[in-house]
Amino acid sequence: MSADVNDHEIWRERAAIYALDALTGEERREFETHMQTCLECAAELLTLRPAADALAQTVPQLDPRPELRDRVMAAVIGTALGDRRAPARAATPAPASAPRAESATSAPTRWLALAATLLLAIGLGVYANGLRGRVSRLESELDQARAQSAALQARVGRTESTLASAQTQLNSAQSQLAVFAAPDSRRVAMAAQKGAPDGVVGRADWSPSRGLALSVSNLPAPLPMRDYQVWLLTGGGPVSAGLLPKEAVDGRTVVFNAPAGSPAPVGFALSEEPEGGVPQPGSRIYLVGMIARAQ
Amino acid sequence: MVEPAPERRMLARMAAGDGDALRELYDVHARAVYSLAVRILRSQSDAEDVVQEVFAQAWRNAARYDATRGTVAGWLLMQAKSRSIDRLRARRARPEQADDEAPKEVADSSAGPEIQIVRADQASRVRQALDALPLLQRTALELAYYEGLTHVEIAEHLEQPLGTIKTRIRQGLLKLREALSAAELLGTKRVETSE
Repeated sequence: MSADVNDHEIWRERAAIYALDALTGEERREFETHMQTCLECAAELLTLRPAADALAQTVPQLDPRPELRDRVMAAVIGTALGDRRAPARAATPAPASAPRAESATSAPTRWLALAATLLLAIGLGVYANGLRGRVSRLESELDQARAQSAALQARVGRTESTLASAQTQLNSAQSQLAVFAAPDSRRVAMAAQKGAPDGVVGRADWSPSRGLALSVSNLPAPLPMRDYQVWLLTGGGPVSAGLLPKEAVDGRTVVFNAPAGSPAPVGFALSEEPEGGVPQPGSRIYLVGMIARAQ
Repeated sequence: MVEPAPERRMLARMAAGDGDALRELYDVHARAVYSLAVRILRSQSDAEDVVQEVFAQAWRNAARYDATRGTVAGWLLMQAKSRSIDRLRARRARPEQADDEAPKEVADSSAGPEIQIVRADQASRVRQALDALPLLQRTALELAYYEGLTHVEIAEHLEQPLGTIKTRIRQGLLKLREALSAAELLGTKRVETSE
């Protein structure tokens, strides 16, 4: 549903803010958890991160003072020389000079690595060995297209049910419109009959060429094993137009096709009947409306 | 194109304790690291301290450098950014301490390492994309990246609704992403040429 899509828009925004390390601590943890199961967000981050990192390249370039080189070499190699002469200690963990900085940068890097792993898992092998040069570029562009396609398909999947529902509504609206707009359309108010639930009202729009558009309000949902049935009242007796859909008791308009070969109706009725409907109405007739005679 | 294989060898030599390799690494990357630190800290002496810390860490962690996670330049710049932002935050926590002198600007084209750490056309494309952003998008990105503010702080700073800031950050970053090629985004340049 749309709530899902909206939720995911929030994650996509967070992916961008995460790429800039600008989420608050709690949001950052939430996003990292989300990304473990959301390939779309992992892929999004994988392409947004270089865009964020590229900001480092846009600053005005300044040359440091030449003395800085000697100072750095003296400080780094001078103090570390004793340690580094021993090859076994080459990977000695860093002294805790700036633990915050290290932890701050390791997490995003870890997640980037995870994102890359996830992409590899579905065959986006852009990191595979041996890809280089022109072939490499072409393949990675192809892979990006695939990733975009996968992302789009995922979104399409999420919106498919929304789309189907919208299509149904559209179809319904079109057939209603066809009835309302028909030149031979007549509107009939349907009045509650004795024994009808309180407040029930109905409206029928009838077009001999397009059918019956019926709208009822304040009708309680049918009891179990019961249905509401719609009737065309003709000179030859009532003819069933069909069952009122169970959810159409709230003012929604439902269109019924005129039964083939039935005589022209003089009015319409709605009754409560055993589930599935009956050939002739019983005693629980709740709504009746008669077509005014044409002048 | 970055040439990662020589850089990887440089890191391998550093891991083995070769001081000359550190000098080479410094000569290639110090300018970019220093420039980023200056941009964030607006202080020559603080930026110099960051440069020293970044290369000290590179020296210590050379053996742990993972080429699959990005270029050496990216690795160093990420450290530079992180350490600069940490200093900036510490400085904000002591507001009474004024910033020190502004660094002397040195022309971009002045003497310096000839080796490019990034492709000039890529930096230029990103720069142009940044310049072309609407003011709010650009400012939001800059406050996040160069000032280390969270999106909540940015919204307060700019007196804008949080939702607006979130949207602007994303829009801005998407435009920067457009300025990068598919290969750059998907990390093709990270694929090392075998030695």
